[in-house]
Amino acid sequence: MSTHAYQWRGAAAAFPMLALLALPVVGLATASSPSDLAAGVRDPSFAPALWLSTWTTAASLLLLTAAGTPLAWWMARASDGRARVAATVVDLPVVLPPAVLGIALLETFGRQGLLGPALDAANLGLPFSSGAVVLAQVVVSAPFYVQGAAAAFKRVDPELLIVARTLGRGPKAAFFRVAVPLALPGLVASAGLAWARALGEFGATLLFAGNFPGATRTLPLAIYTALESSPQAATALALALAFAGAGLLLPLRVIPAFLGRRRRRAPGRWSAPPGSPA
Amino acid sequence: MTTLQASPCRPGRSAAPPLFVALALVAGPFASEGCGGGDEGASARRTLHVFAASSLTEAFRDMEGPFEQRHPDLDVVLSFAGSQVLGLQIRQGAPAGAFASADVRLLDSLARARIASEVQVFAQNELAIVVPEGNPAGIESFAELPRARRIVVATAATPAGAYARLALARADARFGPGFRDAVKSRIASEEHNVRLVRAKVAAGEADAAIVYRTDGIAAGLEIVPVPPVLNVRPEYAIGVVAGAPDPTAGERWIAFVRSAEGRRILADRGFLPRPS
Repeated sequence: MSTHAYQWRGAAAAFPMLALLALPVVGLATASSPSDLAAGVRDPSFAPALWLSTWTTAASLLLLTAAGTPLAWWMARASDGRARVAATVVDLPVVLPPAVLGIALLETFGRQGLLGPALDAANLGLPFSSGAVVLAQVVVSAPFYVQGAAAAFKRVDPELLIVARTLGRGPKAAFFRVAVPLALPGLVASAGLAWARALGEFGATLLFAGNFPGATRTLPLAIYTALESSPQAATALALALAFAGAGLLLPLRVIPAFLGRRRRRAPGRWSAPPGSPA
Repeated sequence: MTTLQASPCRPGRSAAPPLFVALALVAGPFASEGCGGGDEGASARRTLHVFAASSLTEAFRDMEGPFEQRHPDLDVVLSFAGSQVLGLQIRQGAPAGAFASADVRLLDSLARARIASEVQVFAQNELAIVVPEGNPAGIESFAELPRARRIVVATAATPAGAYARLALARADARFGPGFRDAVKSRIASEEHNVRLVRAKVAAGEADAAIVYRTDGIAAGLEIVPVPPVLNVRPEYAIGVVAGAPDPTAGERWIAFVRSAEGRRILADRGFLPRPS
């Protein structure tokens, strides 16, 4: 059989999955007219929910990268056994259903949870606050960032770090001037996935943070709440969220590729050795 | 680890439309139940899906056994959620045989759209305040509701949430302006059905919640009554869903709910008799 025929068959086999992923978006888009979308954007529940989603996901991404990067660095360099244990713990939020995570967060940070009485006494009661929204987002999105960042750090050639040290750089400089720039495309891509997961977070937020406009009703919760009274508004809100997601996913795909290309084009400073993926 | 299965019960339940499936997924703890019970000869039994307001959970579960004993050809599968969510699922073609709503107007609107028929009122309820064990905020009456640091209610789209807002509006007129705002400033969350509202109090996360009196009884929670002048008497209605494969099955369930035995079970669970 010719190579051409093989390629054609390959494309035919790849199509059903692609269609399954694309069709619901088409369905969503055709379910509402541009005027419906405009009505969704003007819906009184849209702006506060969009603002809440924006700032909570920004905060959770900031916390996640600040706390997750050291963990990912450690996981990339730890011995196999310890790294495997850590990787299992990091993966837990992917395996556990969001509703289970929500209950687990309540049992930990709720009034009657493990840390609840201490937090409540300090007037830091988390449930039903925007802080709870951020915490839920950090937990559910952490695996996407930490695992991706650890993989990116693992691809950094340890020899380069040793070279940096022999050239008189401290471990801090070796990390910030060598490891982070080399792993940057991977770090940005993982952060993007984590952010997308945080934006879509629903179950753990609903259970742990509750549903109150302005404080805990993020876009996904606003969509579900709107569905109860006006399915039309919910569809429009869903479409607006899908647009926002797609609009932010695209740069996330483009930026890492751009970073990788720039490095290949400008060899000399910290260029990766031939054959190592960017 | 357990493996994921398309249908946890038996084959033939997967014909639900996509939106129904999606809603069932997010409906979480109130999703469909009732796989168990008498699997022998299941092939001979037909399944009757009964959709019911979440506040009817215990009463309808109590009825399932006696009903199936009397109608051995039927296997009842109960689904509980906020009435408005169930109404939406039914509008989208969910395979329900009968639908019991905490708001008679919801079933009336389905009947006008020819999606439901034979709508009949079968019980009434009342609102009540529930407080967690030990009543940490010390709420002894409806007027003391603003003492709670955190209050939870149902969303305005749910029957329970709409009734709670009605009671608060009446209280505003009685206790002076500002009462409703004082309560509203303490509302920490709006839940999607009355059982999720109650769960926040049962877990001790909220100091008070406005639910149905029967919800407080079923959970054994401390109840603070709502005075009659403020209270609402919601009427529960039930109807047959159009397009059900076997309308007589839904009719038989409705007849049982309205029978002497059905009324006794409802009364045992704290429901008030239907207006005569």
